[in-house]
Amino acid sequence: MSATTKAVAERVREAHGAQRTLRISGAGTWLTSGRPVDADDTLSLADDRGIVEYVPGDLTLTARAGTRLSEIVAATRAEGQWLPLDPWGGDSGTLGATLSTATAGPHSFSSGLPRDVVLGAEFVSGTGQIVRAGGRVVKNVAGFDLTRLLVGSWGTLGVITEATVRLRARPERARTLAISIAATHTALNELAIRLRALPFTPLASEVVNPRLATHLGLGDQPILLARVGGNEKSVQGQLELLRVFGEQLDVSEDVWDSLRTLDPGDAATWRWSHLSSMFGDTWSAADRSTRALGGSFMHGNPARGLVRVLVQPTARVTPAELVRTAAAFQGTVVMEQLPRSAWPLADSRASDDPTSRAIRDKFDPAGILNAGILGGPA
Amino acid sequence: MNPSLAEKLVAIVGPRRVLARTSELLAYSSDGLPGYTKVPGIAVFPGTRDELIAVVRELARENAPFVPRGAGTGLSGGALADGVVLLGLNRLRRILKVDVVNQLAVVEPGVVNTVLTREVAPHGLHYAPDPSSQAACTIGGNVAENAGGPHCLKYGVTLNHVVAITAVLPDGTVTSFGNPVGESAGYDLVGAFVGSEGCFGVALEVTVRLQRNPQAVRTLLADFTSIDAAARSVSAIIARGILPAALEMMDAATIRAVEASIYAAGYPVDAEAVLLIELDGFEAGLDDDVATVVSLCTGAGARSVRVARDDAERARLWQGRKKAFGAMGRISPHLVVQDAVVPRTKLPSVLAEIQAIAARHRVRVCNVFHAGDGNLHPNIPYDAHDPDESTRVHKAMREIMETCMAAGGSITGEHGVGMDKLAYMDQLFTTETLQAMCDLRDVFDPKRRSNPGKVVPIHSCREWSMARAARRREGA
Repeated sequence: MSATTKAVAERVREAHGAQRTLRISGAGTWLTSGRPVDADDTLSLADDRGIVEYVPGDLTLTARAGTRLSEIVAATRAEGQWLPLDPWGGDSGTLGATLSTATAGPHSFSSGLPRDVVLGAEFVSGTGQIVRAGGRVVKNVAGFDLTRLLVGSWGTLGVITEATVRLRARPERARTLAISIAATHTALNELAIRLRALPFTPLASEVVNPRLATHLGLGDQPILLARVGGNEKSVQGQLELLRVFGEQLDVSEDVWDSLRTLDPGDAATWRWSHLSSMFGDTWSAADRSTRALGGSFMHGNPARGLVRVLVQPTARVTPAELVRTAAAFQGTVVMEQLPRSAWPLADSRASDDPTSRAIRDKFDPAGILNAGILGGPA
Repeated sequence: MNPSLAEKLVAIVGPRRVLARTSELLAYSSDGLPGYTKVPGIAVFPGTRDELIAVVRELARENAPFVPRGAGTGLSGGALADGVVLLGLNRLRRILKVDVVNQLAVVEPGVVNTVLTREVAPHGLHYAPDPSSQAACTIGGNVAENAGGPHCLKYGVTLNHVVAITAVLPDGTVTSFGNPVGESAGYDLVGAFVGSEGCFGVALEVTVRLQRNPQAVRTLLADFTSIDAAARSVSAIIARGILPAALEMMDAATIRAVEASIYAAGYPVDAEAVLLIELDGFEAGLDDDVATVVSLCTGAGARSVRVARDDAERARLWQGRKKAFGAMGRISPHLVVQDAVVPRTKLPSVLAEIQAIAARHRVRVCNVFHAGDGNLHPNIPYDAHDPDESTRVHKAMREIMETCMAAGGSITGEHGVGMDKLAYMDQLFTTETLQAMCDLRDVFDPKRRSNPGKVVPIHSCREWSMARAARRREGA
């Protein structure tokens, strides 16, 4: 057991005893996401960093929660491997925060969501108990699944101090293309269906709106960014099948990092999602709403049926408008970042069901961990 | 068992669907775990969702413990009901919806795994998790156990394929988790429910992902004169970055058992180990990967690597693997089917240690397992009526499990804890971790009526420890 874990447990136990609320933070890159938390103290995991165990032959890695993703990227690259977690915001964030927020980036359809990537986690519950969930092996059904419970719980059930993740081998070859497409809702519905019907799964596929395409230096038309990988013949075969989608332009692999690190500043970011076959409808609904808000960057993953909207800091966003656009949509809307004044108007039902409340009462009975970040009573 | 409870259940499901006589209940006194006989008090078999909900609510009113059961093929004793109500779910077998375009299906818990795959096959789809019992086991049981199978190496286990669940909790509340039509916000309650071994309630509807059938498949059989060389090949393939659909190992004892049975697959009977390797996916470039795998195996010492020429040969190679447990049934009256996981790089040393343990206790271990995942199945054929042999088998099993734990592994990769692995739980997990598991169970089932006594040993829960401490104080 690491000394830092014990120190975290001690801090939480004290806070629990004194009924003082804690804001749990990693590198602080996502501090403005989620609902505002007004806590008495901050518990930062930023300095609790370092890779604890990395056995390349096992394709698994264990690291402290404060380890920056960039450190893991560097260590695994040296072995021809990579961590399939590519959250929005880039690699400056921590492993713990990526898992706690379950942030999933452009490779998540081909390589798994954070829930699929994590194998085990050590965490400190709201009463200061140190829990070691899951394990370090790639397949494990021993006991109830506390690991999945912690992933995406935004620190409200426990403070993740260490985690073990599954790695993948880097593809022998990889290519990224920009393909010109039409972005009408019918064309995009069709695009999503055709992409999923391909005899291979692209490593990543992301539709980008004209404003964002311009920002990325890829012209001023809607495009599909696609990344394919495998051995040389496989890559050539995949590129061949993608030709029917439109005119292809080879682009740098760096475009994915540029996409992930779009800085929304202090404005609003949120995600719309519905069935993959309705990707075009979701895109159009998101597009209409953002036009009303003065335009924005938009990109979306057709395979996951998900569209992400970033309203630029210059746009005037009123809380009522944001909430109205989200409420009229039939699918799911998840807010990443909003102006503080907008949060109280946003839907908070996602984790306010009786089961979720009961889980919170068990793991953090005093309600001291990131209180209110998921909505419900602050 | 309370006679009025039987009457109340008859009122819900009709007299033919409630069993209360011991002679009838004996058919439900065991599951896939040998060596245990537990006779339920009553068995009840609802035929519809409404009947199932009504039954669970009646059991709640009566405060009656119950054990949900799918096909009873589980290998950890999870479906054993010791004097309590056995809730049979195998009549709830409707496929409620298939969404071909979005590759989703909504099924009732009693739908048999391969029935779903057969149903969606005309659309070029299949349900990926493929436990060896897939021709009999149910999706509900797969959800409870978080079942795996050979193809989970590439495609993931049950957890990775379930997107939403509607369940009836033990108190009769009907609730839904997850989101079939978009991303899920809030806690991952689907993740918590999958693998809860029937302790968190009963699934009414499960929404699963369907996988597109691969465009091309290549199945290889590599033949080795040592287990160590086969294990090193596994590491070499994984390290090269090739992700086979399946990567299975069988040792000499298993090969001989299979070849002597009606499932004979043409495995080389003089080999010390074979690897059954399947590569699938996009046709272009697949044969290059096959060539790489062949050269890695040969480099590690394979005598030969054979590529199946057609579907018939491929099916035959797989039949030997899938029916290996059955083939072992010919060797002796009983078979311990074991399940443990080790880090992949530890396979050579752990397999060597298992051989040493077997020799020390004079038992025969047949290894047939998911090598690519490090998921071992060291099985021991034996005669349970021979007390000396039974003792040696149990000692060997315990040492094998301890070896796997010491190697940084786990006590179960896909069969579950059930009753069989309870004794290892407090070796693998700390008291605090077991307590957290108890806490999670209490959210779903505070009275611990659903599948009582399974998964987490009762003494690791706070109330029990406190009661024990109190008794000690009184004793002192």
